[in-house]
Amino acid sequence: MTRIRAVTVEIAWQLGRRRRPLMLWAIGLTAVAAIYVPLYPSIGGEQMQALVDSLPAEMTAALGYDRLGSAAGYLTATVFGLLGPALMLVFGIGLGARTVAGEEEAGELELAAAAPVRRDDLLAGRVIALHTQIAVLAVVTFAASALLSASVGLDVSVGGIAAASLGLNLLVIAFATITLAAGAVSGRRGVALAVGAATAVAAFVADAVAGMLDDGAVIEALSPFSWYLASDPVVNGVPLTAYARLGVVTLIAWAVAHDRFRRRDLGV
Amino acid sequence: MTTAITVEGLVKDYGSFRALDGIDLAVERGEVFGFIGPNGAGKSTTIRILLDLLRPTAGDIRVLGEDPATGGPALRARLGYLPGELILSGTATGRQLLTHHAAVRGGRGRDRIAPLAERFLLDLDRPVRALSKGNKQKIGVVQALMHRPDLALLDEPTSGLDPLLQQEFLALVREERDAGTTVFLSSHVLSEIEGVADRVALIRDGRIVVVDDVAALRAAAGQRLDVTFSGDVPLQALEGVEELQVDGLHARGIWRGDTTRLIATLHGLPIARLELRDRDLEELVLDAYRTEGTA
Repeated sequence: MTRIRAVTVEIAWQLGRRRRPLMLWAIGLTAVAAIYVPLYPSIGGEQMQALVDSLPAEMTAALGYDRLGSAAGYLTATVFGLLGPALMLVFGIGLGARTVAGEEEAGELELAAAAPVRRDDLLAGRVIALHTQIAVLAVVTFAASALLSASVGLDVSVGGIAAASLGLNLLVIAFATITLAAGAVSGRRGVALAVGAATAVAAFVADAVAGMLDDGAVIEALSPFSWYLASDPVVNGVPLTAYARLGVVTLIAWAVAHDRFRRRDLGV
Repeated sequence: MTTAITVEGLVKDYGSFRALDGIDLAVERGEVFGFIGPNGAGKSTTIRILLDLLRPTAGDIRVLGEDPATGGPALRARLGYLPGELILSGTATGRQLLTHHAAVRGGRGRDRIAPLAERFLLDLDRPVRALSKGNKQKIGVVQALMHRPDLALLDEPTSGLDPLLQQEFLALVREERDAGTTVFLSSHVLSEIEGVADRVALIRDGRIVVVDDVAALRAAAGQRLDVTFSGDVPLQALEGVEELQVDGLHARGIWRGDTTRLIATLHGLPIARLELRDRDLEELVLDAYRTEGTA
């Protein structure tokens, strides 16, 4: 069996058994968009700006609420800045931890690893299946946000929403892959979850802190969360370098996982 | 033709704990080889090294003539494996799971899923996570043998199977052997596999203590004799019973050799109750261990 076929069989198996939970997450993300987007025309604009102005400036900056005055800023602060990434990170980090380390600890990886498949290919199949599922959720987020924005007449471009969705996709893939890698290296689901959650929260907090500082550029340069959203992709489109960085983080995490996973003892 | 398994000086350390302490094994092609030892003796560790799930600390290993660490998928395509602790979860049905395992092997074994399932009365349309331990074990057995591997590595295959299914399983193992599969199977209970194993190795604390054919091992192990008399009996009457302990009218010991001779020995004695049973594995291994220790 060729290696491509081995990877393909693994991807198909992983996706097939994950259909139902993935559908539930898609519904959840659609609900987030469905709750927030239609709200803007009724409470948005000047009213919202007045509310934001009454809050402490540091707080609004930390939450990204200083953007609430415009439709694009509103969408960025709610769907793309808070609940979208929160939900998708929970999904991606949870699945990233389970995909290798969780199954290994449970003993489920045993048969897969004893099968006539190279460990690199087994890992590749699972990484790609993980990325695919996140991409599906990103597309759902995009579609729901774009359709709902159009239907309530929000002044945002489809291109902008696509750019932000792409960034969300790359952000979550990066942290999910970091999580998977921590699990592939350690063989421990708890370690994987801790590493994934800690790095994601650190990135989010760093981005929030950077927003409060007068000169937060240094921090923004280091936080993947800033790479994702600091340039206002809903308004300004895809920030190529910043998104490329997210891709590089993913590749590095994958390479680390690959290097360690193929050489170590499994299930000990 | 190369041997099925050759292991020389296999050592496996987990940190400072030595799980395997210089194992030597030679399993010929076409035989059913039993690997017997108490839990924690190193059976699973050995099997998992043969599959390249674990990497040895030291030692030379050949599986079907190849080193598992470099044999890769080509070697594992010729192996079948039943894990000692088979974990199956998820919503996939037995059929989906087994079809997937066949797909991983390029479709090999797919045609045997249905007949083997029928033979083991296995419902292929239920989700595997809803199956009982015994039914999961059946899936594992089918999965390990369906592609007619050159070498099947079965870790505690009879655990979870009821006696009837154990017999069916052992019959299948004999058939697979006759069809050319070498079978290496482990158990902590010799009696479960002695009907099918040509030879067995006993392992304890990470060392092989004895390798022999089953009949010889049984004969050497002897049987435990437990007899209660209904009247006084002179001790000399029980000549030939080893490790004899007498407590009033109750005597116990170990009998090795011909059972007819034992019956002759007991003939005419006032016996209220008599029990003669094969010694269990733990005793057997302890014996072998002692013998090796003093040799």
